[in-house]
Amino acid sequence: MSTLAVWADVYKQYWRINFLTALEYRANFLVWFAFTFIYHATALAALYIVLREFPVMNGWSFSEMAFLYSLWMLAHALNNTLFLTVGDVPEHVRDGEIDRVFVRPLNPLFQILTTPQQIFPDELILAILLFILATIWAKPIIDVWFVIFMPLVVIGGALIDFAINLLIATCAFWFVKVDGLRWVAFQLEQEFTRYPISIYTKGVRLVLTFLLPYAFMNYYPATFFLDKTENALHLAPQVGLLSPLVGVACFCVAYAFWRVGLNHYEGVGH
Amino acid sequence: MTAVRPYFEFAKVAFSREATYRFEVFTSIGSLLVRVYLFRMVWTALYFHNAGIRELTLAEAITYSTVALLMSLVMDIDQTRLLVSKLDDGSIAMDFMKPISVPLYFFSDGTGEVSFHALLIVPSLILALFIVHIQVPDPIVLCVFFLSFFLGYLVGLLMNFCLNCIAFWTLEIQAMQLIVTWITDLLGGEVIPLVFFPPLVQGFIYFLPFAAMYSTPVLIYVGVIGPDEYLRALLLQAVWIVVFGIGAVLMWRFGSRRVVVQGG
Repeated sequence: MSTLAVWADVYKQYWRINFLTALEYRANFLVWFAFTFIYHATALAALYIVLREFPVMNGWSFSEMAFLYSLWMLAHALNNTLFLTVGDVPEHVRDGEIDRVFVRPLNPLFQILTTPQQIFPDELILAILLFILATIWAKPIIDVWFVIFMPLVVIGGALIDFAINLLIATCAFWFVKVDGLRWVAFQLEQEFTRYPISIYTKGVRLVLTFLLPYAFMNYYPATFFLDKTENALHLAPQVGLLSPLVGVACFCVAYAFWRVGLNHYEGVGH
Repeated sequence: MTAVRPYFEFAKVAFSREATYRFEVFTSIGSLLVRVYLFRMVWTALYFHNAGIRELTLAEAITYSTVALLMSLVMDIDQTRLLVSKLDDGSIAMDFMKPISVPLYFFSDGTGEVSFHALLIVPSLILALFIVHIQVPDPIVLCVFFLSFFLGYLVGLLMNFCLNCIAFWTLEIQAMQLIVTWITDLLGGEVIPLVFFPPLVQGFIYFLPFAAMYSTPVLIYVGVIGPDEYLRALLLQAVWIVVFGIGAVLMWRFGSRRVVVQGG
């Protein structure tokens, strides 16, 4: 079998196991689904309450903010569906499980990403539903560009999310316990992507654009598709279409760092 | 006195255990400071673009968020979470054999943990003062605030204990706890002061236990709850303590009978 066929087969088996596990633990699955739903519902409710009291958010209405949120949610949900297991790397390093991936003849990162879990694309389905609703409501310009670029933007956003998680997970090869850092990064991501970044100070806008480019997950693409005047860094609106490139670039950097981490790894001693 | 001694030791051990995770300490203070800065930016932008008279001024809103965030250092800790992990790996069986009160053991372990995190409030506050200006009320108001904060803390502690006890029946409660956490964050007024909620919702939201945890102490701090309402606010907190206290006793009594350790 060619390498590609092996990868495809492993990946197919991985999803088969995921689905079977979800079917087996139905009650657990339902509770987690409720969790996902309530998590996003409270986030949107909070946005609604703020905008009811403070109607002007740098020119963004609630429907546009919902669109902004749904774009982040799509990218984040795609990341959670495909790449969530990378977050377990620190745990695998601590308990020595990670050694297993080195002795198997398959790309280590691919093995990590195909470690069976109870993953089901429920969040992604919710995200697509919210995105459709928000699109109907916020009325972005829907043309050929929208149809071609939107999926690419979402994939790019997921890659940005994934790359930052991979960077943090790789730190575990040096520091072993990085759970705190992972939690902090997630909190900052969810809080800083919620509002248009133009309400933040210049320094924060620069960080969110160049250093931790979360703004490319939703703010820049949303600005372009909603035809808003971009006033965070006064860039051309078309930068919103760069998200896929930014995602690929982030992934390349993170993957290079991951390779360095793998070479550095000596085991924690067991 | 000798009866108290072991529990004091449990608390001391938990305290030192928390102090060993130095990296975690830095990240939790760091993330708190970033969020203080975030809230300052958000409130400043919102008040700048939206003129009008509100229940809170900009300075009060920033004070509110900062105080709530500092409180979260303590409030976010689930003191009795040890119960769930011990049920999960079965080690709770050993604890039942020891000549101690098991729930008191969990509470003292949690108290040690919380004491350590309460100490973190001091450096966090000092560092936060470099980022934001917070208002300081009269000493009397401050005293009532601390009393209310303590009551709110007890509400949270007992509510979490009840939740943890559910694990006697289901073993898995992580998702349920996260759901309660998100709801508490929103309806407790940790993120958005409850005075900004739609009037219709405000009618009943103050009577929920979530408001008794965060909102009541912070609203006392910023002066929205005035001296003539103190008694009512504190009494409502006390009611929730009693309700969850009774719940905790009942759930422990019925739950702990169900412990069956599988294999080992």
